[in-house]
Amino acid sequence: MSRRIQVFKGILWFIVGLAAATTIVRFTRGLGTTTALSDTTPWGLWVGFDVMGGVALAAGGFVVAAIAHIFQRRKYHHAARPAILTAMLGYAAVAVGLLYDLGLPWNIWRPTVYWNPHSPLFEVAWCVMLYLTVLVLEFSPVFFERTRFSRLYRFLLRLQLPLIILGIMLSTLHQSSLGSLLLIMPFRLHELWYTSLLPEIFFVSAICLGLAMSIFESSLTAWLYERKPHKEMLEGLSRFAVGALSFYLGFRIFDLWRQDKIAAAFDGTREGGLFLFEITLSCILPLIVFSIPALRRVPGLLFGAAGICVSGFLLNRINASGLAQIWSTGSNYFPTWTEFSVSFGIVAGFALIFFFIHEHFPVEPDFKDEEDQFKKLQLFELPHFDHVSRVWLGDSNFCPRRVYSFLFFTAMALGFTMTPWNTLVESSPVTRARGGQELLKIGYPIGTVDFPHKAHVDRIGTQQCFVCHHLHKPADEGTPCSECHADMYLETRIFDHGQHIALLATGNASCTACHAEGQPHMGATAKACSECHQKDMMTANSQVREFTHLDAPGLRKSLHELCIACHEREAKRVELKRPDLFRCATCHRTPLDHREQQRRMRASETLVSFRQGSVTIP
Amino acid sequence: MIKQPCILNDVTRCIGCEECVAGCKRVNELPVEDSAPRVGSSSDRLNANRWTTIIRTESGATVRKQCRHCIEPACVSVCPVGALQKTAEGPVVYDSDICMGCRYCMMACPYGIPRYEWDSVVPRVRKCVMCYEKILAGEIDKPGCVSACPKEATSFGTRDEMLAEARRRIAAEPGRYIDHIWGEKEIGGSNVLYISHVDLSFLAWQELSQPGGDSPLPERTWHALRKVPAEFVGMGALMTGVWWVVDRRIRRQKESELQGGGADHE
Repeated sequence: MSRRIQVFKGILWFIVGLAAATTIVRFTRGLGTTTALSDTTPWGLWVGFDVMGGVALAAGGFVVAAIAHIFQRRKYHHAARPAILTAMLGYAAVAVGLLYDLGLPWNIWRPTVYWNPHSPLFEVAWCVMLYLTVLVLEFSPVFFERTRFSRLYRFLLRLQLPLIILGIMLSTLHQSSLGSLLLIMPFRLHELWYTSLLPEIFFVSAICLGLAMSIFESSLTAWLYERKPHKEMLEGLSRFAVGALSFYLGFRIFDLWRQDKIAAAFDGTREGGLFLFEITLSCILPLIVFSIPALRRVPGLLFGAAGICVSGFLLNRINASGLAQIWSTGSNYFPTWTEFSVSFGIVAGFALIFFFIHEHFPVEPDFKDEEDQFKKLQLFELPHFDHVSRVWLGDSNFCPRRVYSFLFFTAMALGFTMTPWNTLVESSPVTRARGGQELLKIGYPIGTVDFPHKAHVDRIGTQQCFVCHHLHKPADEGTPCSECHADMYLETRIFDHGQHIALLATGNASCTACHAEGQPHMGATAKACSECHQKDMMTANSQVREFTHLDAPGLRKSLHELCIACHEREAKRVELKRPDLFRCATCHRTPLDHREQQRRMRASETLVSFRQGSVTIP
Repeated sequence: MIKQPCILNDVTRCIGCEECVAGCKRVNELPVEDSAPRVGSSSDRLNANRWTTIIRTESGATVRKQCRHCIEPACVSVCPVGALQKTAEGPVVYDSDICMGCRYCMMACPYGIPRYEWDSVVPRVRKCVMCYEKILAGEIDKPGCVSACPKEATSFGTRDEMLAEARRRIAAEPGRYIDHIWGEKEIGGSNVLYISHVDLSFLAWQELSQPGGDSPLPERTWHALRKVPAEFVGMGALMTGVWWVVDRRIRRQKESELQGGGADHE
């Protein structure tokens, strides 16, 4: 165990911890609280990266298996097992990612029973299910290699060739079908990505990505475990990659030329820039490194180029399934941190499983060499207590499990701190009763709050309504408290940024209406609401603070601040002779008896429905 | 229910009172929308509890937006489990018991109609169903929006009737309408038709006038999907063939190596 792998694993555990916190919020509070998805952008990062990208990343399994076992290049047998392992874990990660993204994840098995062969997604679902099974069988000999089940092992080994061929058949189908998936969106997808050849483009790019991922992953493991990379094999793979990448690049350009769209890439639009960026990452930069022998022989450069290539093709999947649709549909989707944490958390989790399998099973035949065994012995079996000198040596440095758990739980705690409160706590909405004698719904444990509205109006006069009704909806004389303080205890977000953008102007011109130019665009630097909403906001003489906050506090907090300050002042006025005004029980009555509760409940319900216009009192 | 029920919206008659929205809510028992719209929601204000809405164009026209109940609906063709179905009569309906929540229907719809219950832990896809079940059960004879309209801006009948009615109105007052029935041919045609004095192509994501705009969307995916069996078997045959050829060559090479005493290393 090298230092590198330990640090790397520590980082991975941290990311998994963040994702763990998100997981809990996602499955208890739904997609709405954890994602920035909306009706205009129903597919986001989880589909683009985890599903589309994940399937493409796992393409190395079938590409390298084909090179090693169908074309029978012995040199690549080293790469085949890690590639198949990556593919197996990749597909498992896709399935896990889908569980997060599906609105009703417990129905994920449904396509096996309810068929719709007209749907590309149906075909993808079946292929992924079958291929995952095939991959497990393809990889399973590794698990049995060192066990006593030799008959089973030999049987599985004999199955290898048919399984590999079946795997290639299934991969061809679903890699291209992921492209077919987008064929139905000509009105959403930008023209640089939308083409009738999408399935073919997806298939070819999967081959490129598979090769790049194989190079990337074997260089990475070699670096992490401080072993020498298989230079010859990596060079061979990069030669294959040159062929595949140049074919892909030519194919893309041919396809654009065929539809007369090449000019669209250079017209200076966001999509054009994105397209050029994607092509540069996925093809041009890696091609330069892979095709020049002097460059590709430098392990670091090869590793970097493979990494850039992988990210370029991932970007392609993200673009096609979402990013290149955002501007054409006019939505302003950007993933939340929770979406990022799940996406990276799944990758991190499966990377940890990858390392575990790598360390405990013969994935690469020469991995468990003698030197390595010796290293392991030294590191793990150092005595904690030296019996000769009777000195306590303390914990072995290489007992990283403790560090990992620490990182995991720290990250999880951090995740929970970053989650907004109101997504975690059950809300307790406030009723909309207006003008009644009570402010709170009867039935709360504290009973009810007595509030003689008429007495207050008589006392402070009709010109002073804004002391309590400090924010007015247009054409409403007395906006109720619950309009903004919608929850008993939680803060309510009352500022609708999207609505302001939509109403003020189109596009970026609306920003300067509130945010001063040259300053960072954030709530703190925006101008006060009352500058525009002079009519609606009666803050001049109000008890409450200036309305600069985007969140209205819970009803309990706001009413306490509003009522108590006034009551305290009034109670001190000797001439009023009402010292008890400032006592809790003046407003908080003792819980009422049942019949009284029923009576008041009926009365307030009638009043509410009367106000809403659905009941007329005879 | 009548065959091919169809709604005809006459934009010139609509006054934008949103009685149709209220009527829809009444019939489908949809709750009042009392929370702020989700960030990033579309400007048309359609949402999970509002299946039809009125859009005000810049020119001041009021256009009702709702599910188009396409003749060949993209949403139905892409649903991997068939939760969305085109009924024999015509309306496109949804079965939340089968749905797995992939939201592919929302991506596929060229008009951007299906909405999702984002705030729910058990979310469903929501959209206009032309009051299918209520009409089938005989509770009402036409959709809630149609019976609520005070200006007869939206009418209900069979598709042929409505097409004839639309043509009659255009012919009677040619100056009042653009000579086009939206929904007659676009993307394969739909069971919700529009006649109007303003251009209505903004109802879809992008201009429908681009090449191939009249062919139904499911054709595009089916064009790729129907090749699947051939691709599958073809790839299998190709791979087996390659393996066989390579294997034979290697075996021959070994044999010749054995015979030649390993002299020939190439």
